[in-house]
Amino acid sequence: MDFNLTDAQKAHRDEVFKVCAELNKKKPKTWVGFESQFDDEVGWEFHKLCAKEFAKRGWLALGWPKEYGGKGDMMDKVLFQEGRGYYDLPGSDIFGVAMLAPTLLAAGSEELKKEFLPKIANAELMFCELWSEPNAGSDLAGLTATAIRKGDEFIVNGQKTWNTGAHFADWAFGVYKSDPNGKKHHNLTFLLCDMKSPGVTVKSIPYMSGTHVYNEVYLDDVKMSAKYIVGQENEGWAVVNVLAGFERSNLDMVYGLVRGIEELVEFCNETKKNGKPLSQDPIVRNRIADLSCSLEAVRCLAYRVADQQNRNEMGLMDAAAVKIFASELMEKYSHLASDILGPYGQVKNSPWAKMGGTVEYTYQGCFVPIVSMGTNEIQRNIIAWYGLGLPRMK
Amino acid sequence: MDLRFTEQQEILKKSARDFLTKECPKAKVRELEHDAKGYDPDLWQKMADLGWLGFNIPEEYEGMGYSFEDLTVHMEEVGRNILPGPYMSTVVNTFAIVAAGADELKKDLLPKISYGKCILTLAWLEENGQFDASGITLKAAQKGSDFVLNGTKVFVDGAHIADNMIVVARTKESAKAEDGVTLFVVDAKAAGIKSTVIPTIAHDHLCEVVFKDVAVPAKNVLGKVDKGWEILQMIIRKGSILKSAESLGGLQSVVEMTVAYSKERVQYDRPIGAFQALQHKMSDMWIAMGTSKYLLYEAAWMESNGIPNAKEASMAKAYINEAYKLVGALGVKLHGGIGTSYDHDVPLFFRRAKAADTVYGSTDYHRELVAQFIGLK
Repeated sequence: MDFNLTDAQKAHRDEVFKVCAELNKKKPKTWVGFESQFDDEVGWEFHKLCAKEFAKRGWLALGWPKEYGGKGDMMDKVLFQEGRGYYDLPGSDIFGVAMLAPTLLAAGSEELKKEFLPKIANAELMFCELWSEPNAGSDLAGLTATAIRKGDEFIVNGQKTWNTGAHFADWAFGVYKSDPNGKKHHNLTFLLCDMKSPGVTVKSIPYMSGTHVYNEVYLDDVKMSAKYIVGQENEGWAVVNVLAGFERSNLDMVYGLVRGIEELVEFCNETKKNGKPLSQDPIVRNRIADLSCSLEAVRCLAYRVADQQNRNEMGLMDAAAVKIFASELMEKYSHLASDILGPYGQVKNSPWAKMGGTVEYTYQGCFVPIVSMGTNEIQRNIIAWYGLGLPRMK
Repeated sequence: MDLRFTEQQEILKKSARDFLTKECPKAKVRELEHDAKGYDPDLWQKMADLGWLGFNIPEEYEGMGYSFEDLTVHMEEVGRNILPGPYMSTVVNTFAIVAAGADELKKDLLPKISYGKCILTLAWLEENGQFDASGITLKAAQKGSDFVLNGTKVFVDGAHIADNMIVVARTKESAKAEDGVTLFVVDAKAAGIKSTVIPTIAHDHLCEVVFKDVAVPAKNVLGKVDKGWEILQMIIRKGSILKSAESLGGLQSVVEMTVAYSKERVQYDRPIGAFQALQHKMSDMWIAMGTSKYLLYEAAWMESNGIPNAKEASMAKAYINEAYKLVGALGVKLHGGIGTSYDHDVPLFFRRAKAADTVYGSTDYHRELVAQFIGLK
């Protein structure tokens, strides 16, 4: 076994952390966490600024084949996630870079790869996802939005929901019922769509914290060209599964927690309660140490996922485990930090806030990674069905 | 980075699994729980013949000289099966003799250990139950060139059948409790020593050991007089990793047994493993296993390569202590009534999970060390 990074990997990691530390200094004052990129223009501009800086260095195309502008390998991608995660920076489009690009590489036509991959790598196009519907969340069999083919076009109608960042995105990928009479799993088509197309209406759904993250997207006779089918017509289900297979190692989330614990330790060292630093309270010490042990455990497992991916092994179970564990650890962290701050745990980013209001933000924001990308309950099913070989529910 | 086992490690795993499956079935484990000795001397000899007692002994002292990482992988397999007796204690404490024993002592004891002729254990904890240095009160007074030991140790693994024990004693009162602790290698059969087995949850033959005017020659001091705490830290660090490996093995057995049972046991016309209420608990057991593994391997890899790892070792022990107990309890619950029966294998592991958690330091002890390592002032 070898946990060492190569010298080249160490150099890349140092460079990533250096660039991210610089970008961190330019963070808007209103920034409280990862979803701040979607909350207002200031956040979105910062996202684009970071994206341009990363694109310049080829970091949005890490692990791609050279012929499409790729650079480095999967491990380099993971090390990039660490730096970005540690400094809680946007700049790597969660839909374009993390999801669509690998899907196009695996299932897209040559034309689509040539048209979209350079634009994703150069941060010219930002994507959103038109996936869930009011009555179809984890179970896509309930989709009702239709895409009816007419010649070289599809006419798309329906309502999509939980569309993170749709109010800023340039393009969208989505999945629609294209054959109303077709058999289950052979009646969906995966299509790309320009968000400026006539008939696309985006309406905000405020997150519980009041921030603007999600939207509903209404599609009224929206025309989508047949040349933007990913995979085969009526075989979108297969593409969905390819995309779902691109489980990330989630090291960005893990490194966000590394930073969070460092900040919490600093806060406890500097803050007195009953005349003594909080850091000397045995309960505080025990709870932070407990969280640190869990964090190190998931950090190591995330490396295991990265190591597998670097050898083109899927590691689906380990990736699901990391997703569940890291997101629930973030929830635990937010509760612990909130408890330690006492009445200040509820204060939003303002002159009254401790730790920049990040604790109040994370206390609510932690549900985003828990319920998105396949809820943790679905992830537990994945482990049970595919990892443990337990019977699937009918 | 390459987080796979080496080919040699795969062979070590398989040979340990095959050997213990054949030589140490669960019926024997249960039988030895109520045996006066608590271990099987014939099995011990077979283990020695395979080189198990000499894994970490340098070749010049008749050992195998394997790496720490290899030993960790081996211990995981041992834990998967359960092996009654002071095997873990003998192996872990051998490190202290290799590192800090006088040459004469090494030449005498190490080949004996390797050939299965010497059982070694650690007499550390006292009635106060403390893991920190201020808990050490057993007195060792200098008398001529000898030391004389007086006091009582508890939870000494297999002291009643051990040949030698490493005794953690106080040789000096000092403002700093760590200063003035000395480690002695003591003949466990020496005059003045009385060992009594304490009944415990795992029937694992932990003893109370009373020392009354026990004479120990100065050449049996490990390292320097008054400076033994540092050596004990090494024992705790290496022991934490190896004990965690054993726990991880046990934890894996519980996961496998529970999943297999849930596929066989039919209620409401379907295997109980088809119910999501159970599936999600089994997923959590699996996650506890996955997260434990690489935390452990990281600590073991660092130890093997001489990279400072006290933090990682403590993290592994604290985390895996809790993971094993959680998985053990879920294993019992998911088995239903049969899971609570003495004759079932799952509670065998559940009881050992509790026994494991205080060996080489409890969860809270290691969390406190972690708190210091991460910079809490």
